[in-house]
Amino acid sequence: MRRREFSKALLTCSLAPCAGLAQNFESSVLSVDDLPELVGDISLYLGRGEGGLYENVLRAISDRNPKLTLNIRRGPTAALANAIVAERGAGIRRADVFWAVDAGAIGLVVDQGIAEPLPSELVKQLRPNYRYRDWLPVSGRIRTLPFNTNAVGIEQIPQSIMSVPEQGLKLGWAPEYASFQSFITAMRFLEGNEATSEWLLKVNSLAKRYAGELGVVMGVERGEVDVGFANHYYTLRLKAGKPNARLGLAFTRGDSGCLVNASGVLALTSDKTVFDFIRYLFTREVQSYLSSEAFEIPLIDGVALPPGVPPLDSISPPAIDLTQLSDLRPTLDLMRELRVL
Amino acid sequence: MRIKVTSMLGLFAALAFLVSHPVASFGDGEVGEHVNNMQEHLVNYESEIVWFLDELSKIIIAYEDGGSNEYSSDMLIDNWEAVDFHAAIETNYIQIYASIWQGIYGVKASLDSGESLDSVDAQVAGLQKALWQGLGAVKLAARFQSEGLIGTQGDIDSRSLSPSETLDAIKSELDRAIAKSAERLPAEATDIVLSAYLELFEGLEGDLITLDAELVEDLEKDFNVTLPQALGSELSIDDLNQVVSQMKGKLDRSKELMQEAEASRRSVF
Repeated sequence: MRRREFSKALLTCSLAPCAGLAQNFESSVLSVDDLPELVGDISLYLGRGEGGLYENVLRAISDRNPKLTLNIRRGPTAALANAIVAERGAGIRRADVFWAVDAGAIGLVVDQGIAEPLPSELVKQLRPNYRYRDWLPVSGRIRTLPFNTNAVGIEQIPQSIMSVPEQGLKLGWAPEYASFQSFITAMRFLEGNEATSEWLLKVNSLAKRYAGELGVVMGVERGEVDVGFANHYYTLRLKAGKPNARLGLAFTRGDSGCLVNASGVLALTSDKTVFDFIRYLFTREVQSYLSSEAFEIPLIDGVALPPGVPPLDSISPPAIDLTQLSDLRPTLDLMRELRVL
Repeated sequence: MRIKVTSMLGLFAALAFLVSHPVASFGDGEVGEHVNNMQEHLVNYESEIVWFLDELSKIIIAYEDGGSNEYSSDMLIDNWEAVDFHAAIETNYIQIYASIWQGIYGVKASLDSGESLDSVDAQVAGLQKALWQGLGAVKLAARFQSEGLIGTQGDIDSRSLSPSETLDAIKSELDRAIAKSAERLPAEATDIVLSAYLELFEGLEGDLITLDAELVEDLEKDFNVTLPQALGSELSIDDLNQVVSQMKGKLDRSKELMQEAEASRRSVF
């Protein structure tokens, strides 16, 4: 393998708790004790995912608010987004709140102009880069390059995602995976279709294919491949279950390779109880629960990141409106045209 | 009819999965509205089994007499696919459903290869046992359904499956894959396994890997390599059951680990 020198400033993380993370706790983040009791009925459409941890959050909110009747409809996120749009088209409003596991599905609804503007003081709780008028990212996940620490050094991994297929590295990917497809959508917006096509073709000729991104990370750890493409939390979770795993995390800079995607919430009803319900999701308690249990990234100040993730300020995600990730159809068409899917 | 408690739990989990996955499809087309009100159709199911066995007797007699254009062994499959009981057992107790298919193909093969009457009778006995066991399982499910303990096909997904329920649902799907293999539908059987992996197991493995990474690696291989390869080969149903049994053991271990983890998980507030 040809070694190339790259800046030692390349972001990396040793998967040990990053120094200083726990120090930035003073902020205006609300506690659940600061919020009013929820009274009334709310109909929530909930995208499936996160192994039941979102369910635990909802159960805790319900238990704390006995006068709240929370009706939940569950399903694949994209299907629920389509249902919301179709219901609105038919003049029906069944959902008051939509909690989606990815921002792309949120974008599908927001694009229809049917999401209600959120109170400004709620929006301002988010970090400046993650403030949107009609929806809020609940928790984030970063695109990363997990690598086998026995096979490659951090200096062998480029800072540009577009250069990754050029390094002679053995690569692993899961192109059928929704997160990967959102990443490619971001690449299309940032680099254009032609460059994205070239990248896909190169990676397709080089990479070992896995069914999911946890599989990618396990393949990296076993040494089947040197480097993979995956969301950050798979590496953290594998490392939690196998502390001696031969895994490191690398981040590119300023491109789709370090996209911070997010689950998101929006209101379809302008109502105090609905907005207060959403406030619960941004309390210190819920945000720290999602961080510690789901390894997701809190996007409000004052809540510790999962151990193993560098401070958000040191990551340079691309400037992209996450709702643009709803433009998935051209991505799928492109991937099919190139026989990646 | 003796149905073990564990079987009843498996039945309940399978039904819970079906209720929460209304898009679940079945290889033989429409399930039929009767499965939403099984109690009222139990008499019909029983009479269908009697009819099926009567027809089976006619087929066997025709073969003993040297063959007949009116009764061929292919009719066994046509007759089985024609009865409502088929869908009732398929949607309620897939392990017995697989045994019924295994019995049907066993009888058919023994007739087609001209085996002795004793051999045919042995196959018929196995098939009869599976059919009556199936009726017992459907009666139990009908009682649960009439008492409101289970829903109907096509209900809106109003509750989520816990990790334990999801793991039980995966086990039921593995049984369904064996059933499809018994039906001689290996591609469909493989699709069921891969769907169970993508739609059910993947939602759990992120948590499970924090508890036992090697167990997840084993199961990943089972879902994506070992079982699909076994389904695509000429393994007997008994051999397939052995592969699935090993997977189920790992899924049971997963369940224990996740129950322990859930019990010790920090509370949200």
